[in-house]
Order: sequence, then C-alpha cells, then structure tokens
Amino acid sequence: MKDLTISATQSTPEVRTDSEQGILSMRGDSYPENTFELFGPVIQWVEDFLAGSARPLRLDLRLLYLNTSSVKVLMDILDMLEDAHQSGRDVSVAWFYDVRNERIAELAEEFKEDCSFPFDIVGEEP
Amino acid sequence: MTADGGRARGARAGHAGLAELAGRIEGLLADPAHQGHPLREALADLWGYTNGQLARIERITHISDAYQAMAKEHEVSLGERFERQMRRLGKVARISDRYQEMMRELNTTLRDVSYRDPLTGLYNRRLVTERMREDAGRAVAAGRSYAIALIDIDHFKEVNDCYGHDLGDRVLVEFARVLTECVRDGELCARWGGEEFLLVLPGAAPGPARGVALRVQEKLRRQPLMAGSQPLWLTISVGIAQVRVGEHFSVALDRADQALYRAKQLGRDRICDEDEIFAA
Repeated sequence: MKDLTISATQSTPEVRTDSEQGILSMRGDSYPENTFELFGPVIQWVEDFLAGSARPLRLDLRLLYLNTSSVKVLMDILDMLEDAHQSGRDVSVAWFYDVRNERIAELAEEFKEDCSFPFDIVGEEP
Repeated sequence: MTADGGRARGARAGHAGLAELAGRIEGLLADPAHQGHPLREALADLWGYTNGQLARIERITHISDAYQAMAKEHEVSLGERFERQMRRLGKVARISDRYQEMMRELNTTLRDVSYRDPLTGLYNRRLVTERMREDAGRAVAAGRSYAIALIDIDHFKEVNDCYGHDLGDRVLVEFARVLTECVRDGELCARWGGEEFLLVLPGAAPGPARGVALRVQEKLRRQPLMAGSQPLWLTISVGIAQVRVGEHFSVALDRADQALYRAKQLGRDRICDEDEIFAA
C-alpha cells in the first residue's frame, strides 16, 4: 500500500501515513486553495487502509487553524472512522495541542462530540 | 381455486354475507340432484370466476400496500438523511466560526504585541507614529494640540560600558516603571529607541509636559534606580515641543529633538523647551 508524505506549506499541513503502523498524522495549519487536491489522496488512503486490512488505525493530529472546507474533510474522515468502529474495527484519534493554546483543545472537543471510539485530547508543554 | 379457499377469502374480506352465500352455492353444486342441469354448470363457472376476481383484488391490494409502505420508508429515510446533513452542516459552521474567532483574537494579540516594546512593555515608536497619524485629522478638526517631551537618560552608554548590557537593560526596565508612575491617564508614554523615551500629552506645551519631566527628575533624585543590587543615580535631559494644530508630528518631533540636544549642550540634567533652542 502506497504511503503519503506531503510536506507542510504556509497554508497546508504536513501529512504522513504509515501503513505498517496504521497511522495517519497531520500537523499544522490548513487553509488550502484546493481542498480536494490536498485531501483527496488522504481520504483515499483511509478508505484503502480500512478496506484492505483489519489492523488498527490511529490518527495523530497536531492541527492548528482549519478553514471551513478542511473542517468538513476532517469530519468526513472521523465519520469513516466511526463507521469502521461500529463494525468492530480498532480505531482511535490522538489530538495533541500546545497547552498555551487552550482554544485548540476546545475545538478538538467539538470534533470529538459525535465519536464513540477512543479520542484523546492531549496537552503538550512547549 | 378451491371452494374452501374462496370461502376463507370471503370471510377475510369481511363480507359476512359472502360466507353464507358460498355455503349455499357450494351446497347446490355438490347436490347430486342438480347433476346435469344446464344452470348448475353455469353456476359452477360463475362461482369459479368470482373467486378468481376476489383473489386478484386481494393481490392488488397487497401489492399496493407494499408500495405505499416502501414509499413511506423512503420518505422517512430521506427525512432522516436530510436532518443528519443539516446537523452536520450546523456543526461545520459552528466549528468554523470558532476557528475564525480564534484567528481574530490571535490577530488582536499580535497587533497589541507589535505596538509594545518587548523589553520595557511600554508602547513603541510604531504605535506613536500610527496614533499620531490617525489622530491628526481629528486634532485639526477639534483645534486640538499636543505637547511632546523627548527624554534621554544621561550618560547611559557608560552604564552599558561599565556594567554590561544585561544590567543596562534592567536599568531601562526600572526607568520605564518610574516614567509610567509619573504620567496620568490620557498621556502617552513610549520607548522611542535605545535610552530615549517619548511622552505625548494633550494640551499646550510646555506646562504639563514640563510637569511630568520634573516629577521624573524628582523621583530619580530621591531614589536611585536599582539594577539588581547596584544603586544608580541617574539624571535625564528633556526636550519639549508643541505639535501645533495641523502640523505634522515629525516636524514637532524634530524641534523636541533639537531642544533635547540643547539640554545636553547646556550640561544635561535639565529640561529645555523649544523656545530655548536658539537661546544664547
């Protein structure tokens, strides 16, 4: 399975996947000009990973600012995880944030709201 | 189609009379006395046909009911999907709003930071020049004028040279504290650069500007600045000028600078007004 390595830019997050470990990590700001171009392959990777194996999937997030379409994409991905979880799959999210920016934790809580799988919001000291 | 089936269907259809009619007809058809009678054969055919029609009606009703149930189900699932999408949309909007709010607050914080001198916490040159530019039009309209005082710590270079820049920085922080204690509401106090500080006071010069400068001098005479454990007796030189109605701030600042230079020339530790620039 082909892994993704997308470097961060001013307006897009760093995205990395690890099919061996079953990890999708995203870090940084996200307000891309073309959301589909950036996240299309990410969604595809999640779909393929969930369909192609029975191994656990973990999302490692260190996201800061998200524009509206990025919020929607992230909710789509979380929905995919929720569906997988409902059919018995081991999925989880770990959302890390800088303790100096408590607002990020509040936003992560909003995302967590409808998720019944393990969703940890972890404060990190700078 | 059996006669039993026809009866049963008749009873299910709820026609109370049909069961009784079926009994009669089937009795007549079964009676050997009517065998061979032409009407018996016609009755048998008619009875068969009737039962066939009844069965058809039953089937049509059944299928029709199934369609209705399906349509109903579809409607419900559409409704549910619509509601789910609306909830989702609401959530996206809510989260997105919060991100925007976060950005706005961050911008405000950044703007505040960009207006402050990081060492002393006083306003910086950027804030003063922006505020004076913004205020220029209003000041002209209201016929308002300002006094400005440029304050320089005497021989500050020696503090840095003797004690090092770290201690020099601490002295600046201490001095900024003294300065802040001497200004009142509505008076602007900024670090202009290096060891130079600027006061902007509404109203005419030199009156209130001289008042603040005198208070600062008085404080420095009564108590040394503590730079760590090191007491330092410092003095200041001050140049005061008036920002005249309609005049550009930088023009008045030049005069304040010249007045400050004059104060230095005259031996430091003194306050000079712009009137004294060319005094002998």
